[in-house]
Amino acid sequence: MGNFSVQEDKLKELLPANTLKTRIKQVEVKREIKPAPSRFRNEIAKYVIRRSEDCVICGKCAEICPNGVHVRKAGYKYFAEPNSDHCIGTACEKTDRFCMAKCPQKALRFVENPMMKALGDCRWTSDLLMATWKMAETGESPDEDFGLEYNCGDSGGGFDRLRVMFPEKPEVELSEEDIDTSVQLNRSNDGRPEIKIDVPWYGGGMSFGSVSNITQLAKARVAVAFNTFTCTGEGGYMERMMPYDDHVITQVATGLFGVREDTMQRVPIVEFKYAQGAKPGLGGHLLGDKNTLAVSKMREAVKGISLFSPFPFHSVYSIEDHMKHIDWIKHINPRALVSSKVSTPTDVDMVAVGSYSAGSHIIHIDGGYGGTGAAPDIAKKNIAMPIEYAIPKVHSFLESEGVRDDITLIASGGIRCVHDIVKAIALGADGVVIGTVELIALGCVRCSKCESGRGCPRGIATTDVDLKNLMTVEWATQRVINLYEAWRKQLVDIMRKLGIQSIGQLRGRSDLLMHLDYTNDVEAKS
Amino acid sequence: MSRDTIQKYLDSKKRLVNELELPCVVRKGEEEGGCGVVGFCCSEPVGGRHIYEPSRQMHNRGNGKGGGIAAVGFIPEQIGVSRDVLDNFYMLHVAFLDVDVRNELEKKYITPNFEIAMKTKLDTVDDWKTVVGLEVRPPDVWRYIVKTKDEVLDKFIRENGFEEMDREKIEDEFIGQNSFSLNQEYYASLGEQKAFVLSNGKNIMILKVVGYAEAIVKYYRIEDLRAHAWIAHQRFPTRGRVWHPGGAHPFAGVNMALVHNGDFANYHSVSEHLIQRNIYPQFLTDTEVSALMFDLMVRMYEYPLEYIIEALAPTTELDFDRLSLEKQKIYRAVQATHIHGSPDGPWFFIIARNLVKEKTFQLLGITDTAMLRPQVFAFCDGEVQVGLIGSEKQAIDATLQSLAEEDIRICPVADRYWNARGGSHTDGGSFRFDIKANDAGKIRVTVSDKFGKPVEIPSAEEACDFSQGISLPPETESCLQTIISERFAPGNAFAIFEMICDLIPEWTFDELRLACKQIVNQSHDASKTEIAIEVLTLLNDRIYSTGTKKRSNILHIVRSSLDKIFDSIPRVSEDSTDGALRMVDFESRDDIAEPAQGRTTLVINAAGFAAEGDDCDARLLVNAYRKGWRKFIVYKCRGQRYIGCGLGPGSDGVSIDVYGSNGDYLASGALGVNITVHGNAQDQLGQIIKKGKLVIHGDVGQTFMYGAKGGDVYVRGNAAGRPLINSVGKPKVVINGTCLDFLGESFMAGDPHNGGGFVVVNGITLDEDGKVVPMKEPYPGSNLFSLASGGAAFVRDPMRVMVEEQLNGGVYQEFTDADWKLILPHLEENEKLFGITIDALLTVDGEKREPSAVYIKVVPSASAVGSSTVKDESLEDETVKELVLE
Repeated sequence: MGNFSVQEDKLKELLPANTLKTRIKQVEVKREIKPAPSRFRNEIAKYVIRRSEDCVICGKCAEICPNGVHVRKAGYKYFAEPNSDHCIGTACEKTDRFCMAKCPQKALRFVENPMMKALGDCRWTSDLLMATWKMAETGESPDEDFGLEYNCGDSGGGFDRLRVMFPEKPEVELSEEDIDTSVQLNRSNDGRPEIKIDVPWYGGGMSFGSVSNITQLAKARVAVAFNTFTCTGEGGYMERMMPYDDHVITQVATGLFGVREDTMQRVPIVEFKYAQGAKPGLGGHLLGDKNTLAVSKMREAVKGISLFSPFPFHSVYSIEDHMKHIDWIKHINPRALVSSKVSTPTDVDMVAVGSYSAGSHIIHIDGGYGGTGAAPDIAKKNIAMPIEYAIPKVHSFLESEGVRDDITLIASGGIRCVHDIVKAIALGADGVVIGTVELIALGCVRCSKCESGRGCPRGIATTDVDLKNLMTVEWATQRVINLYEAWRKQLVDIMRKLGIQSIGQLRGRSDLLMHLDYTNDVEAKS
Repeated sequence: MSRDTIQKYLDSKKRLVNELELPCVVRKGEEEGGCGVVGFCCSEPVGGRHIYEPSRQMHNRGNGKGGGIAAVGFIPEQIGVSRDVLDNFYMLHVAFLDVDVRNELEKKYITPNFEIAMKTKLDTVDDWKTVVGLEVRPPDVWRYIVKTKDEVLDKFIRENGFEEMDREKIEDEFIGQNSFSLNQEYYASLGEQKAFVLSNGKNIMILKVVGYAEAIVKYYRIEDLRAHAWIAHQRFPTRGRVWHPGGAHPFAGVNMALVHNGDFANYHSVSEHLIQRNIYPQFLTDTEVSALMFDLMVRMYEYPLEYIIEALAPTTELDFDRLSLEKQKIYRAVQATHIHGSPDGPWFFIIARNLVKEKTFQLLGITDTAMLRPQVFAFCDGEVQVGLIGSEKQAIDATLQSLAEEDIRICPVADRYWNARGGSHTDGGSFRFDIKANDAGKIRVTVSDKFGKPVEIPSAEEACDFSQGISLPPETESCLQTIISERFAPGNAFAIFEMICDLIPEWTFDELRLACKQIVNQSHDASKTEIAIEVLTLLNDRIYSTGTKKRSNILHIVRSSLDKIFDSIPRVSEDSTDGALRMVDFESRDDIAEPAQGRTTLVINAAGFAAEGDDCDARLLVNAYRKGWRKFIVYKCRGQRYIGCGLGPGSDGVSIDVYGSNGDYLASGALGVNITVHGNAQDQLGQIIKKGKLVIHGDVGQTFMYGAKGGDVYVRGNAAGRPLINSVGKPKVVINGTCLDFLGESFMAGDPHNGGGFVVVNGITLDEDGKVVPMKEPYPGSNLFSLASGGAAFVRDPMRVMVEEQLNGGVYQEFTDADWKLILPHLEENEKLFGITIDALLTVDGEKREPSAVYIKVVPSASAVGSSTVKDESLEDETVKELVLE
């Protein structure tokens, strides 16, 4: 694991002694794939398998099924409820291991799970959800036989109207080892540390309060394993996160909840959050019910009241204020890189150049597809510019201003899968930030109840003392590690097929993309 | 102006618009945010060099991609024309980006229309590259001093049916239209811009460059060009490559120049408002439309200035209710007509103009209703008067310093500094300085607010003649020396201060100067340096009777003496001499080492340091702290930022004393350090402060303690807009003055009686003798503790003038004995720090009252304080434990 932060002795020159005193030994987390099955007894599956009373418990089905759908536990006479999520359904019909055909009693049948129609939405289709769950469980891309479309959603817009065009044969033959997926985050050549992340993505900001401490910790551990980052969001920096300091971005957002000098001094990157793509101009909200004792202590506010982060920063009304704000952070933490997270208004290109001239190392543009549970529906997808327009707009404007190679452009807001990442980078981003997909890996079903009542019924985006204990840090870490590893492999595979050796070479290669509105390719359209 | 005349104006402009075939949609061409603005005026014309220093000091508010200055009220001899020509002819300044078009342009727009009294190319240095701060070669600027030919004006009158109107006003309109057509042909309609009019008006000039504003002074060699009023602007355009200064400020109206700090959210709506009146923007920036809007209301509607300000920054909420009914009626009409043309968002304008008819030059500052941009006003009275407006106090101080160096009659400390309260019934958010000859023919500056109400300037008028040395009879001298030196012993500082205070009203300036000199002399004995600093600091911080002497002059004497002491402290590398203090300046910054035995205090001369970045004094302070220094004095600040930031946790016991014009973000992030500001403080102080003590011997700027988590804080004067927003934890704050508005919005600081936070607003001011005087309203704003969910505000309001309308989610409650017990220790400390006694605070109309009859309490309403659905507290405690390391 490469520790890209400043060396410990260099830190001594930069940070006050008391800040160093609180620094604790950084923990390593292995990048290791281990099965991490669903924590719920019956994982939601594409098919539902029914076993009728005609079953004579002959065991034929269990014998022939390669996917372990039918299980009779040792010492049991009857079969357990089938592992429907392992069933490849119709794809099995043509094989000679199709249990329904082979069942002597014709006691087995399957139907498409009616829940498929209710699960997910056009952007996050049930296929995408289930494929993500599978990756999180196994660390592998789901077998083709499952017939899950996980490279694209069904929204009819955004990234779903774009396709990556693969050449029949790549210009360069590359092996897996040749391919470099790392991204340099400091391009400003200002003497601050060069920070390289191993994969072209890092975890987005989710506060303690919006998600549980367990979710936050798991995200941090995964960031360590993959030599990338996670972000605390705006809700304090819990001590338990300190063993992972070198992989944490802490957020300074408009409510300044839990933001202190020492929290900013602990990390290699500080993120200024001006707005979220899901709800530009609306600030942040944490409704009273989720503001439990622990949350209120972290934020030093009053328990049980709704907490609002205003819009915008009360101290930043202009580009020169923005620069002053960035200088402040740079002063407090002389080794930190500064990221400015903004939504995508129509003049996002100007905002990006402004952020560059104000001294940001990273400009993080957050498009409108992303979503927090708490963002009002009227705002989601309706205010910010679609990210696929914003990225090339910013990229080309930075180029025309001659500063493109001096700043890192990170895109976020609805990055669901590796193809989305490839599209974002080919449109001009250097890397992406992901959010929702990590929660999906933890078993999120996109019910959008994050903000209400006690929060997430699946125990992810909640602070409820009972709900949050529905998962453990270890399990959650493993799930996201598995997802990241599956993604990494997919990304390497895509780059190999495109004949592109490093992520940097992919940036701005919009010629590798096709927009369905501008093609007659019927097949592609379908 | 009558409806009929206005219609004629509109028709005339319409004809022009039709002729030029202008598009009917205007889009903003350039994005820009804030900037640095400064302006000053003087009863005597002063040289352009004085705009140099404040501009330079506001570099960090621009990015060197645009700067501009304007001046009004020149001297005829310097311009090279007669007084009559200067007063009655127009000065056209045209910038040529393409020098080849000049002949053609003159043939079309100058020679056929005007009698030319003078035509000249502005002098420049030979090689623009030798001027620091220029990005590209500035345009050639030609000055035409002109008067419209009679037959041309007659024709113009005929064509537009202007026969009934004042000829001078018609000429103004003609000049404006002529410039508009010129700009359209040579600037707006082209891909490659070739020329544009910089300024068109009488006795006024605007110059702009791609670069920093002060480069103009050097490039166009106007250091010695004297004028009554100057304004300057540092621009921060976001676009990186700018090749000409067309978009830079100031923008011109006829006889006016405007600079702007801010950004409109409703550019489209404002330009639409203009286009409906046939006025078309050509440069497509916020500032241009601001100038056009102002010009429209001045010349076409002929509104009094008060209504123009109302149209730009409407009076709202409680402030509106507090206007007289008659005013409400008028204001409502103004708002109804102009609300769509009212710039929405953060903005602050500084305008310099020539009111030809009134024979007055005017410098004017207007803030938006919400006061979202920084602004400070100042006034120096005396034989030479100076009025100043700036984004930062340090720019004002720099200007005064520069002026004082040239003219000894000007004191580098102003008689008064103040902020405007945007859209208010109190001052209307705007102040103007009028420069006009009085009945005796002497040019004087008067200062008044939006309503024309004069600003009160301290009554003491006796000024110190700094051009003369001290001359006192020897016996007085030796007597003075004795009384000071015999008292100079440890622990006696306050006694010496009190003695001097008692004597000052009777003393002459020379006696005071000698006393201060004596204190400085005492300080050379290393064992007495700290006493000397303490005495002079008290003389600087406290308010005491000065007799007939001007306080600003006394402060100048005291501050110079302090600087002398600090300057003479041994350098940090010096080992041979005694003393607890060591001084470091920019040159010796690398000499910082661990403090030697007996050295306790590091004195930092901030003058040479950058305002931010790796070379700033605040960084040096952090480095010295890491090496073991714990006590700091920072002096000669010139807007340096982030003082006291970055020390990290555990900085308890560290102390920093700050002198001079300190900058923004002081103490933001403090986690234990004690900071004392000996004077007024800037914006964004104490953001996210968690622990420690912050004392401000003066006023404090905007968004004070935003997101604060704690700290014991004392402010002698006022806080500007939005103090303590989003504060949590346990901040405990005493503000002796008042706040402009939005105090404690979303305050979330728990239960004040159980470890939470609170703020005390005393709503008092100190009169010229240092006596407590209650303000008319302890808190004038409409938003006190709005949306708060924790903490409490205690307001001194014995007359009970506070009303429900000032709250939004809060409630008034009885002030209890427990409340008094809670705030008493803080008021005691407040008494110690500022000499504002508890007795004086509890005294109303000469009679001491119970605390409950003096203070009122504002707490969040019950509905704002929620309750959690989780009832089992023990489970919750478990989670709390899970967040911390074992």
